[in-house]
Amino acid sequence: MLSEYLPIAVLATLAVLFGVASLGVSALLRPNRPTRAKLAPYECGIEPARLPAGERFPVKFYVVAMLFIIFDIETIFLFPWAVGFRQLGLFGLAEMAVFIALVFVAYVYVWKSGGLDWREPAPRRAAAAPPTALEPEAREVVRAG
Amino acid sequence: MLAQFLIHPPIQLGPIGPELVLTGTAIVVLLGAAFNPRIGHSTLLLVSLLGLAGAALVSIGLWDWGGELTVLAGMVATDRFAVVARLILLGIAAMGLVYGYHYFRRSGEARAEFYPLVLFATAGMTLIAAAADLILVFLALEILSLSLYVLTGISARLSSVEGSMKYFLLGAFSSAFFLYGVAMAYGATGSTRLSAIAHALAGQTGSLGLALAAVAFLGIGFGFKVAAVPFHMWTPDVYQGAPTPVTAFMAAGTKVAAFAALIRVLETSFQPLTLDWTPLVWTIAAVTVVAGSLIAIAQTDIKRMLAYSSIAHAGFVLIALTAAGQDGISAALFYLLAYALMVLGAFGVVMLVSARGEGRTSLASYAGLYRRSRLLAGLLTLFLLSLAGIPPTAGFIAKVNVFRAAVAAGHWPLVLVGVLASVVAAFFYIRVMVLMYMQEPQDDAEPDRSPWPRVAVAVPAVLTLLFGVFPGIVLGVLDKAAILRW
Amino acid sequence: MKTPISYFVVLSAVLFAIGSVGVLVRKNALVIFMSVELQLNAVNLALVAFSRLHGNLNGQVLAFFSMVVAAAEVVVGLAIIVNVYRRMHTANVDDASLLRW
Repeated sequence: MLSEYLPIAVLATLAVLFGVASLGVSALLRPNRPTRAKLAPYECGIEPARLPAGERFPVKFYVVAMLFIIFDIETIFLFPWAVGFRQLGLFGLAEMAVFIALVFVAYVYVWKSGGLDWREPAPRRAAAAPPTALEPEAREVVRAG
Repeated sequence: MLAQFLIHPPIQLGPIGPELVLTGTAIVVLLGAAFNPRIGHSTLLLVSLLGLAGAALVSIGLWDWGGELTVLAGMVATDRFAVVARLILLGIAAMGLVYGYHYFRRSGEARAEFYPLVLFATAGMTLIAAAADLILVFLALEILSLSLYVLTGISARLSSVEGSMKYFLLGAFSSAFFLYGVAMAYGATGSTRLSAIAHALAGQTGSLGLALAAVAFLGIGFGFKVAAVPFHMWTPDVYQGAPTPVTAFMAAGTKVAAFAALIRVLETSFQPLTLDWTPLVWTIAAVTVVAGSLIAIAQTDIKRMLAYSSIAHAGFVLIALTAAGQDGISAALFYLLAYALMVLGAFGVVMLVSARGEGRTSLASYAGLYRRSRLLAGLLTLFLLSLAGIPPTAGFIAKVNVFRAAVAAGHWPLVLVGVLASVVAAFFYIRVMVLMYMQEPQDDAEPDRSPWPRVAVAVPAVLTLLFGVFPGIVLGVLDKAAILRW
Repeated sequence: MKTPISYFVVLSAVLFAIGSVGVLVRKNALVIFMSVELQLNAVNLALVAFSRLHGNLNGQVLAFFSMVVAAAEVVVGLAIIVNVYRRMHTANVDDASLLRW
């Protein structure tokens, strides 16, 4: 019943209380003398560098992230197959081979179209993204958000 | 619980042969272009067209399928309805490819990805026409939608990019509604198979409330895809923004595919609820024909005008759906065939008048087209007459059939609304004709005079006339195809 | 002690409604897109709950497919939105008004 959740509720309450209390108390007690260095974000001791006109990332990051998502999520079908691996037998193996072959086609396409090349200017021919996302003049984008 | 899934169904790949051929061709074209970037696009076009032809042959081979009603664990239907819908869709795809080859070569935006994307979209469209399980309907809908989002944005023009974003956002929104409807149908009946849903609902073992919610959500999802009011907002923007050949392919293909799936879902799985969904379809059909025809009058861009006209035409097909049964399905199929022909033709002429890329799509640039090119003016006149439903064109026969089926089912008030909307719609089609014949050209821009695309545009024109004068040659086939077997 | 199925279904309906409202009221294309993803996840929850209700696996199978479709939508959608952002320097759907909305 609900009583089973009581320890969780207690823990949650304590956690919230502790967080609020420690932030509130330190805000009340501490001296407040901001300087430029203090306000800078902590980046492992490296001077935070900002590029002009907002933050720019090579568009390659997006392409690689998208490719990662698509290949990552394809493996989801391996899990149900693995659960019934023995019972499915040769039929399951053949089906999975077909599936992986199709994923491999996508991989070969991305590879051949330059979607995985990191350094040299992106070629005119696009990867899995819509064409213009990879045009040479567009190797950087301003972060959308 | 797990055991039922571990007994795999007998594998009969025949009934999905057309899709296998299409995806196989798409992969070959995709990899061919990736390994050899300098490959000529005429080669890609040729291989793609061969793939379409192969798929068409396999489809025709399924006409006399003597095996089970559904194969692959009830996923795929093997009836003649699927065969006919596939053949119409394959024809649309062939026209789209030919237009696209010419258009992108001329506008200097040729991309090898165009061909596989069209083939993938076509595979989704043909698969949806044969889908006998809501899972497969959803997957096929996504295959065609995702390909079309990218195709819409394949050009670097700003309006193309913007159109693809709008299409994507609203398309994904509608997909979510569709999927929720699938979940509701599953919750109501415990199955996603169309026949099992029908049995559960007929035996009243399912939950009626959930089933009605499923009809509503699926209706919203389909409403977006077929562009029925009030789910039509994306249509004009996307039709205007997309490159014209993509618009032609999308306008004809999506409508045929989505209506094929809608017909199958309503007439099989939700057939026990016919009395519940008919008023819904009735209302949407009435609103759609009226709103589509009225808003089209105010348009100044021909692509937007054709987009609103396509919305109105979706309403006419919905009128056919209110007449359940073989008559309604046969009328809807003929309407879809006629609609596909005239919309492919009309956008083909728009592409040729634009000459290069987009531009010159405002109605004003059609002034005096007759002086420039009698052929294009004549072709466009024919397609506009057909869209308006004036004899001797296929559009006329299609409207008559739809109205006859609806009257036979007792929906004469709806038919009255439809007839009045047709009269309103005739106004803006005839306005374009007046512009073409009676006014002087405003500038001296030349339309595209390449010979082959003109031949391509003439194909739907000939068929529009042929089906308008001798509708019997296809009506017999469509009547045979109008029986859903499940 | 089992939680009633209806709880999950109601939660999924609430999530779906939040997602729908998000699509309708937000202006940033990315946020709209995230709302759509929320809707899809609400559907997944409903599917898995119904799957337990009916004691068969169809719903879970469909949930797998819907996850993969959602991922494919993410890839296509983000590519389109990045493309729009690069061309228009905004991801606000109201600013994209070249074509009348």
